Amino acid sequence: MNYIKKLTKAREASSLLFLIVLFIIVGCINTNFLAPSSIAACFNDSVVFTLLAVGMAFAIFIGEIDVSVGANLGFTASVVGSLLRDGHNWLFCFAVGILIGAVIGLINGWGVAVLNIPSLIFTLGTNGVLRGLIYVYTDGAWVENLPASFTAFASKPLIGDLTVFYTVAILSVIAIHILLTRTKKGKYFIAVGDNVNGAVLVGIPTTQTKITAYVLCGIFAAIASILYASRIGFITAIAGNGYEMKAIAACVIGGISLSGGLGSVIGASIGAVIMSSVSRILVFMGFSSDYDNTITGVMLITIVVLDALMQRHAAERIRRERLRARAASASGNEGGEGHE
Amino acid sequence: MNKLKKNLLNWETFLLGILIMEFIVFGAKNPKFLMPRVLLASVNDFIAICFIALFVTFVMITGGIDIQAASIVGLTSIIIGVGWQDGGMNIWTAAILAIVAAAVCGALSGFFIAYCGVQAMVVTLGGSFLYAGFALLVSNISATEAYQGISGFPDDFKIISKFKLFDVIPSQLLAFGVLIVLAYILLHKTKYGRSIFLVGINQEAAEYSGINTRLVILSTYVLSAVSAALAGIMLTSYLGTAKSDLGANLTLNIITAVVLGGTLSTGGKGSVIGTALASLVIGILRFGLPLCFKVNTQYLDIPVGILLLVVVIGRSVISRPETAALFKKLKKES
Amino acid sequence: MPAVGTSKENNGLLSIRNIHKSFGINQVLKGIRMELGEGEVLSLIGGNGAGKSTLMKIIMGIYQPDEGSIFINGQEVHLTRPSVALAHGIYMVPQEPMLFPNMTVEENIVIGFEDKPAELHKRLVQQMEEVGWHMDLNRKASSLSIAEQQLVEIVRGLLRQAKILILDEPTSALTFDEAESLFKCVNDLRAKGIGIIYITHRLTEVFEISTSVAIMRDGIITLSGQVSEFTKEALVKGLLPADSDKEKENKEEAAHTIDYSSEPVLELRDFSGFGFNHISLKLYPGEILGVAGVVGAGRTELATTIFGRDKVLGGSVILDGKDITGLSTKKVMEAGLNYVPEDRHLHGLFKIADVAVNTTSALLSEKVMGKFLLNRKKEKEVTQKYIDDFRIKVTGQSQLTGSLSGGNQQKIVIGRSLSTSPKVVILDEPTRGIDAGARGDVYAIIHQLRKQGVSILLISSDMEEIVELSDRVVSVFQGRINGEFQKEEINQDTLMAAAFDVKTRKEVGA
Repeated sequence: MNYIKKLTKAREASSLLFLIVLFIIVGCINTNFLAPSSIAACFNDSVVFTLLAVGMAFAIFIGEIDVSVGANLGFTASVVGSLLRDGHNWLFCFAVGILIGAVIGLINGWGVAVLNIPSLIFTLGTNGVLRGLIYVYTDGAWVENLPASFTAFASKPLIGDLTVFYTVAILSVIAIHILLTRTKKGKYFIAVGDNVNGAVLVGIPTTQTKITAYVLCGIFAAIASILYASRIGFITAIAGNGYEMKAIAACVIGGISLSGGLGSVIGASIGAVIMSSVSRILVFMGFSSDYDNTITGVMLITIVVLDALMQRHAAERIRRERLRARAASASGNEGGEGHE
Repeated sequence: MNKLKKNLLNWETFLLGILIMEFIVFGAKNPKFLMPRVLLASVNDFIAICFIALFVTFVMITGGIDIQAASIVGLTSIIIGVGWQDGGMNIWTAAILAIVAAAVCGALSGFFIAYCGVQAMVVTLGGSFLYAGFALLVSNISATEAYQGISGFPDDFKIISKFKLFDVIPSQLLAFGVLIVLAYILLHKTKYGRSIFLVGINQEAAEYSGINTRLVILSTYVLSAVSAALAGIMLTSYLGTAKSDLGANLTLNIITAVVLGGTLSTGGKGSVIGTALASLVIGILRFGLPLCFKVNTQYLDIPVGILLLVVVIGRSVISRPETAALFKKLKKES
Repeated sequence: MPAVGTSKENNGLLSIRNIHKSFGINQVLKGIRMELGEGEVLSLIGGNGAGKSTLMKIIMGIYQPDEGSIFINGQEVHLTRPSVALAHGIYMVPQEPMLFPNMTVEENIVIGFEDKPAELHKRLVQQMEEVGWHMDLNRKASSLSIAEQQLVEIVRGLLRQAKILILDEPTSALTFDEAESLFKCVNDLRAKGIGIIYITHRLTEVFEISTSVAIMRDGIITLSGQVSEFTKEALVKGLLPADSDKEKENKEEAAHTIDYSSEPVLELRDFSGFGFNHISLKLYPGEILGVAGVVGAGRTELATTIFGRDKVLGGSVILDGKDITGLSTKKVMEAGLNYVPEDRHLHGLFKIADVAVNTTSALLSEKVMGKFLLNRKKEKEVTQKYIDDFRIKVTGQSQLTGSLSGGNQQKIVIGRSLSTSPKVVILDEPTRGIDAGARGDVYAIIHQLRKQGVSILLISSDMEEIVELSDRVVSVFQGRINGEFQKEEINQDTLMAAAFDVKTRKEVGA
């Protein structure tokens, strides 16, 4: 039994190990990759995915999915970007962005938790609507000329070469992780994904928990959109296209089980670093970044297939052990168990 | 079966009603819409949705989902182009190669889903990355720059999209008709089709009935991939250009068509006719809105997304016990 | 504190008055009244669909009643959410334990508490000591046996200081020893003044552990009172619908002789698999061989392994001279063996498909249903045959099976397994959870099959059923055959003793 415990405990640890090994291998091939600034860049560049993946992690914890985060990011970035461009107060702009993200999350949560609509289908729908709304809002034009002070923020280093953004993001991830594992309500997300009927019986408000997960997912996408705007400096109508897929991939690579109830936000953030480093690694290894999608796909499929096979194997083993134990007790000393 | 049929019939009639309404509204707003030449030419813009949705219906009846089909469209397109231009193949050999490649892609994903027990959503999500990536890599083999696409195909290849029966009915529509008949017979009239439904309703019970459920599940992904390949061939022929990113962004439309067509997203229920009608409803919407209401084509994901949401929300509300009780109450009062 | 004799009216811990509940047009509860006192164990009996689980879900606050009221300690309460019910000291241990498989035992128990983890841990350890269970709190729930999971569920309830504990068929997945320790626990809890609602299908348990009993049928309580007021026969009568007497009449069958010198149609030789070891038995043409035993003895595993659903570990299965060991389900069916699964909801029915689709699903791989295209005429024919033969009550072939009663569903599943014209049918708990009328029909079907020369392996935990139907019986205990009984030796006492492997039983009872 210890074996299973260790295995599950090691889920995010093995992702971290994978990241380190990957970096070392690439470093052996091209030592430039291991320069502190290069390593730092891997982390810094992952900040948008880190936030998206952490948000997505909440949706996946509860056993659902949210494929609208990419469109959410695009739309929120357009709105926040245009407000910033027009010289509004920064805090006001950020508040509007986060509010939009929260509302989108609320709608998704309502559809999934209250109306019981399969999450993939519902969020696919909101994804389409949001994508269209970006065009309606921007008229297809780029949102440009963001304040230089705002865009400059993205490259401001804090610790060594790590930017303020990444440092704050990763500290928040750690804080969230502690909240999720140490507080009563924090465990609700995992519990709902692990066994929703059981959660009902111990008095966990499952509907509320699901909605909260989606709202958090929306809010994280909105925060990611602000960082996105700052980092890129302009927002196109296709901003964030396909990011939802990469966020899901990051979660899976970070050891979060898509059946829900298993994994951590730390894992999601590690997964995000691996995900976003792929194209950089390709360049350092002398390949075209055209391999990016292929490698992401291979990585994603390999991990989920291995995970599914391992889980099935473990479940099957437990079942067989149990059956064996039942039958085996007969072949031993028959009188033995009755003496009480 | 009768009751089920009646329900589906009702839903199908409803879809037909929407389709007719679209014709009336769009036609009244802009008579040009009803000109056969314009209307029938519009089919090119959404034929891929129609082709693929038919067979994604099979997948969704087994309780799965397929979000990789759109990426297979681009893959087949670029295989044809590269095979013909750079590989020196006969165009038809290239097309067959593309179909085979698509079938292998579908089988690969289907294998992981059916035999390894991974959720269909994740596998096909990974598949959409993987096959789009393959397409890009294949396009790199070519001497032609990826963004330009490969063109200059022989006329007998172009004819498959340019041919018009009686000079009116475009070949795409004919092909769609043939596919509908094929899919209909396959799903609703054969033993194979029955096993697809059984697997979707209760896979365990299907196993206990001696059905090889894994093979059935795998086969549906092959079918949907092949339909995506056919759509890729049709689009390549029509555009005269092979591109690796052809068909990207079709996923929303395909899934919407299947769900709008009455397929239960949890599996076990669905119909070919429903999906066919639903894909026409979406296609005509995508065609009519820009033509008659000057809606920017880039906005078109909004109505499609709303359509999907309205259908799933509506169904959810209707199937709630509270609603049933409300109806009962209303009936009593009246 | 000896609580057996406490009167139920005076110290009303839980009082349920006139509860009504409908789902859509389906009226499930039609005015339920129920009283539960401190230290009382109320056995609640009733068939599937009687409304027991709906009632329990109302008490747990999962459903809201349409009408009626609930009092706890004389105070009216509104159980709007499970958390409210928990706060009132109600806790339900569901039939299938609902733990969080990826969490540890401790996490599972303390989830939902406000208190500090350290203090909770202390209380938990205390509680475990109090009930005398020793379990590693850091184990993952997914590694626990069903019995252990049930214990965790009970500790969960105790730690929440539950005054009212609902146990929903707790022994259905337990071995004999596990059930004994559960009974002990129930007695301890009763002594502590906790009121227990004990849902069960097993009448022996009612007399073994409960102080009072209530029978539910069709959304109402038909019978209730102190256990001492009833006999087993009276309870059985209360469970049967009023008009069920006539079903008993056609019970007696003409004498039926089996030629034991002929070749056996099915033979197991030293057959082993997961859950059973070294099983050898012979089934003769036209014979009904009862397989007696308790739930969990390995009988279902034996059947499903023969049927190609699990791995064979050793030995062989010979069907009519042909070795079918380890073949796929399809091949086993083609060879002439079919199986009626124990759990018809999980392994039998296609609920959102109609009667015809369900009845013919096993025929699908055979030529009679068409080569490639589906032969609808044949489908109708086969379906109609079984509807007529088995008196299946349907509005038509197109009725969805999900809307049928349990008995009619079971008849359809049996019909399907016969549609492949098998030489041998394995019936696994063929009458579980169906009403008395349908039970009679199923017995008639079994008799008719035997007349037609079909051999039947009858797995049942209902000894009455085995006695009534079998020509010969083997008993299975902990995965092996521990006894064989000829027709004249078959009676409930000997079978029951064999099912519990007498020696062990005596020692436990002492």
